[in-house]
Amino acid sequence: MTKTVHVINGPNLNLLGIREPDVYGHETLNDIENRCRVVGSNCGLDVKFLQSNYEGQIIDWIQEAISCVDAIVINAAAYTHTSVAIHDALRSYNGYIVELHISNPHLRESFRHTSYVSPVADAIVAGLGTIGYELVLPIVSEVLETRGQLQQSDELDGDGLN
Amino acid sequence: MNQTVLILNGPGLGDLSGYDSNFFGKMTLEGLSAECQALCDDLGIGLDFRQTDNRDEMFHWIAEDSEEFDGVIINPAGHSPAMIEMAESYRSAIKTIATHKKPIIEVHITNIYRHSEEATQPLHEPAGDMGFICGVGKRGYLLAIRAIAHKLKIPATV
Repeated sequence: MTKTVHVINGPNLNLLGIREPDVYGHETLNDIENRCRVVGSNCGLDVKFLQSNYEGQIIDWIQEAISCVDAIVINAAAYTHTSVAIHDALRSYNGYIVELHISNPHLRESFRHTSYVSPVADAIVAGLGTIGYELVLPIVSEVLETRGQLQQSDELDGDGLN
Repeated sequence: MNQTVLILNGPGLGDLSGYDSNFFGKMTLEGLSAECQALCDDLGIGLDFRQTDNRDEMFHWIAEDSEEFDGVIINPAGHSPAMIEMAESYRSAIKTIATHKKPIIEVHITNIYRHSEEATQPLHEPAGDMGFICGVGKRGYLLAIRAIAHKLKIPATV
């Protein structure tokens, strides 16, 4: 069964390919999205890309994902290091969460060394460049499959069938 | 000639039974090594997969042996006090690898930020190009291999 993944991108990622290409690469977010759709369809994932420069919009998207989206891959960009509100929204989301960064924030300025996303994420992938987006999708697919199997066996346990 | 990757596992990682859970599945270092080898074979990359409980040996591998490889993946087993004690030398050796533009990725099996306050932080070395992956179990190693293959411009076959 196809699972849904929302890839939520934060501020300035609409400038990908234009802003500081030596840090973030030459590809646009649209290029990445197109490749991710192909990779996603090959591993049973319906991938939707979202981008906003507004913190509140990102929070709305996370809330909307509750109970209808199987996984969130979030590159909160600069909000990673400032937003307690995004942290809280992610905490209330019960699906699988991957924190993703194109560069490795820990290798950059000290004000990027704290992430409010990391403690509520299941996994973190950073510093692999734009390829990180598509490399993480097969893993998300595998994890969702494993989780589905575990949930099924839990339900069986609950019915006293085990 | 084939390009080669060095995977280094730090103190304590010889025994992965502590990670056993429904989610991560049963893991052994031998099994992990075999999965990494199988992926590297598919990609046509040479692999040297190592583990040590000896911090001096680990440091030697990072500082010296890594020179002979095209990419390096390190699980420093950050929670080991031994690695924390030598964090500065470790960082300096990592920086040397990164300065040579060699792809290098730090991998942890679990999300280290979900552990206690004393949990080790990753490297804060403002130089070079280092990836960071945590929280996806053994899949993190496979992801790291694919990312390095991409940086080495090896076409994905799988």
